[in-house]
Amino acid sequence: MMSFIDRLLEQRARSAAQQAPRRGMLKALGGVLVGASTLPLLPVARAAGPEPTSRPQESGSETDCDYWRYCAIDGFLCSCCGGSANSCPPGTEMSPVTWIGTCHNPADGRNYVISYNDCCGKPGCGACLCQRDEGDRPPYRPDKTNDINWCLGTSSAAYHCSAAVVVGVAFEE
Amino acid sequence: MARAMIKGLMLAVMVAICPGLAADDAMNPERAKYHYQMFCQGCHTPDGAGANAIPPLKDFMGYFLRSQRGREFMVRVPGSALSTLDDAELAEVLNWSIDNFAGVSLPAAGYVPYTSQEVAVLRAQPLQEIENHRASVLAEIAALEAQGAES
Repeated sequence: MMSFIDRLLEQRARSAAQQAPRRGMLKALGGVLVGASTLPLLPVARAAGPEPTSRPQESGSETDCDYWRYCAIDGFLCSCCGGSANSCPPGTEMSPVTWIGTCHNPADGRNYVISYNDCCGKPGCGACLCQRDEGDRPPYRPDKTNDINWCLGTSSAAYHCSAAVVVGVAFEE
Repeated sequence: MARAMIKGLMLAVMVAICPGLAADDAMNPERAKYHYQMFCQGCHTPDGAGANAIPPLKDFMGYFLRSQRGREFMVRVPGSALSTLDDAELAEVLNWSIDNFAGVSLPAAGYVPYTSQEVAVLRAQPLQEIENHRASVLAEIAALEAQGAES
């Protein structure tokens, strides 16, 4: 039995020695070393690169009602409710149906199209009530009325707070 | 003969110095997109997919171009007919939306873009009732398509 194992191992060792290149190990090790050293050169830090041109320069605080993006808002600021100007607080759902207007950005002097996305699914947040209402129109212009509940495309119609997302640069005639 | 030539020459000169006349309905994609964002996107969403009860434009609005009533429907709905856009702007944003959202629903032969003149006539007859009208337009188009598939 032992001699059988001996022979088998000897055969395997010999065939491996005949078939595998002597420098195979060096080659593989070299590949790993070179590969590891180039990893940090890959563009993993692209997010820190130059901003796309449609992204506005920013000034002011997102939790202030005076913040430039809130020029036409009517509601609680999500940035005071656990979310941000761009995102909803955890546990709420962003409505895809939105109130849209334009705001002037003092940082770069341009006008931007702002989408006021309501965050829905929880009772009113109650913090940072902000009513600036620029461009607000009476209900006979329903698409430009911000007094109505815009939790329309969501599973729940309960209004929690409002975000103000930049969706583009306004076209200047 | 000489008079006719002078007339023709004058016309050519007029067209040459007034490019605005010929290019009245020329598409400006930036302006069209801005108007879509300001007057349509709030409900129809950025990619035209719509949400819940809001009808989709994406891969759908092209069906309406398969019949005359369907073509008229897209101008006579309140969002179009009663918008504060002028006729040229409305025609432009409709054509832009079709180009960007109609996708697979577009007729194989393409479509004739809306002009401001056509839009002016159609929007003067806004629809009072929309849901039943829309359903009947779509039923008519489905019947037309079925006929086309048979023949």
